[in-house]
Amino acid sequence: MTADTYLAPKRLDEALEALRGGEATILAGGTDLMVQSQSGKTPIGPKLVNIRRIAGLAGVVRADGEIHIGALTTIAELLEHELVRTHLPSLAEACDHFASSQIRNAGTLGGNVCNASPAGDTLVPLLALGASVELAAKPDAAVTTRAMPLGEFIVGPGKTQRKPAELLTAIRIPVPAAGGVQRFFKFGTRPALDIAAISLGLVTVKEGGVLRHVRLALGAVAPVPMRGVRAESMLEGRRLDPALIEAAAAAARDEVRPISDVRASDWYRRELVRNMVKRMLTDVSQS
Amino acid sequence: MGIAPEAQVETVAPHEARAPSSPKQVAKDSLIGKRIAKLDAPDKASGKTRYIHDMDLPGQLYGKILRSSRVHARIVRIDTSRARRLPGVHAVITAADVPYQRPLGVGKDHLPLKSDRVRSPRDEIAAVAADSPEIAAAALKLIEVEYEDLPPVFDAAAALEPGAPVLHEGKPDNIAMTFDYSHGDIARGEAESDVVIEDTFRLHYVTHCCMGVSGVIADFDASGSLTLYSQTQVPFLHKREFAEVLGIDPGRIRIIQPPIGGGFGSKLDIYPFEPIAIFLARATKRPVKLVYTREEEFAVSPTRQPVVLRLRSGAKKDGTLTFREVETLHDNGAYTSWGATTPFVIMQTISSLYRVPHCKYHTSAVYTNNPYAGSFRGYGNLQGTFAVESHMDKLAEALGMDPLEFRLQNAQEPGEVTGQGMHFKSCGFKDCLRTAAGRSDFQRKHREYRAAQAKSGRYKRGVGIASMLHVGGGAKIYPSDGCGTILKIDDFAHVTVMTGASEIGQGSETVIAQLVCEELGVPLDAVTVVNNDTDITPWDVGVHASRTTFIAGNSAIGAARKAREKVMAAAAKAIGYDAAALDLRQGMIVRAADGESIMPLAKLLRSLHFSDKAELVMTTHYYEPPSQHQDKGFKGDVSAAYAWASQVIEVEVDTETGIVRMRNVWGAHDVGRVLNRLGIEGQVEGGVVMGQGYALTEELIVERGVTRNPAFRDYKLVTAPEIPEMDITFIETMDGEGPQGAKGVGEAPAICIAAATANAIYNATGVRIYRLPFTPENVYRALREGGSKK
Ligand SMILES: Cc1cc2nc3c(=O)[nH]c(=O)nc-3n(C[C@H](O)[C@H](O)[C@H](O)COP(=O)(O)OP(=O)(O)OC[C@H]3O[C@@H](n4cnc5c(N)ncnc54)[C@H](O)[C@@H]3O)c2cc1C
Repeated sequence: MTADTYLAPKRLDEALEALRGGEATILAGGTDLMVQSQSGKTPIGPKLVNIRRIAGLAGVVRADGEIHIGALTTIAELLEHELVRTHLPSLAEACDHFASSQIRNAGTLGGNVCNASPAGDTLVPLLALGASVELAAKPDAAVTTRAMPLGEFIVGPGKTQRKPAELLTAIRIPVPAAGGVQRFFKFGTRPALDIAAISLGLVTVKEGGVLRHVRLALGAVAPVPMRGVRAESMLEGRRLDPALIEAAAAAARDEVRPISDVRASDWYRRELVRNMVKRMLTDVSQS
Repeated sequence: MGIAPEAQVETVAPHEARAPSSPKQVAKDSLIGKRIAKLDAPDKASGKTRYIHDMDLPGQLYGKILRSSRVHARIVRIDTSRARRLPGVHAVITAADVPYQRPLGVGKDHLPLKSDRVRSPRDEIAAVAADSPEIAAAALKLIEVEYEDLPPVFDAAAALEPGAPVLHEGKPDNIAMTFDYSHGDIARGEAESDVVIEDTFRLHYVTHCCMGVSGVIADFDASGSLTLYSQTQVPFLHKREFAEVLGIDPGRIRIIQPPIGGGFGSKLDIYPFEPIAIFLARATKRPVKLVYTREEEFAVSPTRQPVVLRLRSGAKKDGTLTFREVETLHDNGAYTSWGATTPFVIMQTISSLYRVPHCKYHTSAVYTNNPYAGSFRGYGNLQGTFAVESHMDKLAEALGMDPLEFRLQNAQEPGEVTGQGMHFKSCGFKDCLRTAAGRSDFQRKHREYRAAQAKSGRYKRGVGIASMLHVGGGAKIYPSDGCGTILKIDDFAHVTVMTGASEIGQGSETVIAQLVCEELGVPLDAVTVVNNDTDITPWDVGVHASRTTFIAGNSAIGAARKAREKVMAAAAKAIGYDAAALDLRQGMIVRAADGESIMPLAKLLRSLHFSDKAELVMTTHYYEPPSQHQDKGFKGDVSAAYAWASQVIEVEVDTETGIVRMRNVWGAHDVGRVLNRLGIEGQVEGGVVMGQGYALTEELIVERGVTRNPAFRDYKLVTAPEIPEMDITFIETMDGEGPQGAKGVGEAPAICIAAATANAIYNATGVRIYRLPFTPENVYRALREGGSKK
């Protein structure tokens, strides 16, 4: 697959101008794009726009009660970043289980989000953390931006609400309450370099033993990373005990919609969801 | 031109310069058993090795193959006209464009280019030679093929049913090959048994995953002689096969093997891509290079054979095995390669791993529209040992015996001849069992872990033991199992060993050099091994059956001894000593009694060369092992020596996910003698990991004839953090026929891993699993169902 035009803009507005017209393919770390274009799954458009050189699109900052992560921040950078490790340990955990060092050095957060794989590792903690995405475009002289929750942004496997002329510029995450609980778990069939067969993210606050603001996200068990809303509502405002844990785990198992593929059967994915939700909640109850 | 003889006489070789000039004691310096880095290691580690993938010939074109998009179909029409018109394309060929082609492979049921019918989605229909791989790939897309689908069959049992689709004319029952074997009297064995058990074991598809994908370069000279740059493991037999397939004179085929990026048995047969590259080279009068993509390597290269194996075994109350009866069904795939003959090796394990008084074995390989199976390290023995050693555990339990004691009671001693006629001259079987069990504290752990099964808890520990028997001194499956060597020593005492045996990464080159050093008393860097050109090296049967160290090693020793005799006779004459009073050490001729150096070997050779007689030291030797070609009933002493190994494995089973973590492997290997400690450790460690992949993670997922996971993303090789701790002991039985006492070890370490793992999972959980692999999902499912005896 070859593009007719290759552009590597250094400024955001130049990039947005290049995207205008919608015939461009965006290249960030390329760790999804190159594989998919080689296999013919994602043909590269007539214009290939490399966004890696755009200034100011990488980095993590805290402002206005939010953590703001630039789209070009690599998985390796997230893993090391102090703000991420302190406030978003579940995201750091996901980055730690992400691919290999080589891929983590090249792959970006924006790429992981825009690739919208049901098994995308960062999507599960981001969903549990209530993240939203920021999109920019330049339909005419002025740059326009919009934001939306991650849960709305991803609409199907590999499908998002991003318009062809839009660039994802950042992910924004409300700073979680201090003392909150965060967990992430990825199940692959081996300890290294594996795609998740299921993954779980849990973000909640334990107030005097009572769970509040429970958000349970599940990956690789539905066409999109999903929230376990039934399990969440069973847990909200309750104290964890073995019967509740068992019931919530069973609810999560029953609300996921996995498929069978070469990595796992739907039955096994459901079993894992139940066992691992149970394990996660037991762990939270003891902490 | 040339240097005057006098000048040459004075030239000093580098290793000679290190030799003392004044009389001095020279110590005997044996390399046997030392840790010697492989001779090819520096080049491989520094990226200098030129594999076939790195080679390009001037004027070379690139070949690519169009394969069937159907599983089973008649070819109605092929239109190559658009492909031919693509700029940069030099030839497009189909069966119709090839003047002569004959079926290839073990069953001769396989045309390189399919003419009227395809039987699997790997089938070759057309091929292109072009200026670049990209142009060749683009041309393939322009070829139109019209098919008419035929009913497929994907299950070996279903293929045997009346009315099943027939894959090959002349084979109406779809049976590609059968084997029948027996010794003793099964009925008597069963009558004498106090316990009889029967189970069905199901073995899956795996593939070799060589780091270097398959490839070939075909090049004709102007007179029509063919040079093939090939990765074959059997260059001499393949010369003849290529000649038959192509209808050319075998004398005009030269096979050169650039360093091979992994074999493991995968390169033991010829495959259509090789004749196709030759057709393209002939059509274009240019060298043609044809190298697989990784997806092709997964999807179209042969697999380890999937088997359904039904085993009945019995034993007496006193712990004596009574009989084994086996029936196996092999999914042959669409064509017959070596996979169909793996029952030959499975049979040896069924008949002769432990004392088996009565034995009966029937097996058939059945055509289906699945990928076809080839040879793969262990050659059926992984499958057979999985069943046999699972049963050894079950029998011990049924008899209330300790699994080690039961095995020891039935293990053979040196000197025994099995019912199949294998003569165990050297035999360290019991030593292997005792060593592996002792070093792992097997019996105590086995008792304690079993007692802990009932306790609650997410993680369960278990230990399992298994042993294997394999040929260790070649295998006489052809009338000759020999290997030739040509050896020369030059004026500088540099030794060149031209051996028929190929190097596929197993380290044979280094071992051959060591064995020659031992005979000729020269340092390792004074030896070069040439092993990759059929125009130079003498005949060898090929790299298979763990035979190269044993057979090629003995052959090299034979040639070196002849050279030594010549040298010693000349030295005796020159010095006026009795030859028996002299020795060769570190490139010097020394007095045997005290090692006092007399003269550099190189000096002697030059004086021999530049004398009135003008003689060079050049010798040849052909070694034929004292083994037997088996009779029609498969009886006979097929190998000159046999090898054993026992392995104990400790696992931890996560009952909530089904993940089996292999924590430790304790292995004890009867290797005859360690020649290169570093090499043999690498061989065993690599084999253990290959066995681990077979047991736990690897599976080629084939659905309706199509490989669903043709990539490392979804075909799970073991990764570094999963590799267990290994404790490996070598049992040195000093085989009387082996080179310096050594036996073959190439296949051994992979063979009983799956069996020992099955036994360890049972010890941990109380659940026995009869099908591989033990992936998390399969294990979890078995734990939920309390065993999957499907
Ligand atoms: C060997 C290997 C292992 C892997 N393992 C994992 C794993 O364990 N977990 C996991 O989640 N993923 C894994 N991946 C997938 C991949 O590495 C990640 O999804 C990565 O985050 C993609 O980022 P990238 O920058 O490389 O994206 P790219 O490949 O450059 O882009 C991905 C897609 O997003 C679009 N895009 C990228 N950035 C933007 C943007 N700012 N705005 C709009 N569109 C954009 C691109 O056009 C493309 O369609 C693996 C990939 C490989 C090759």
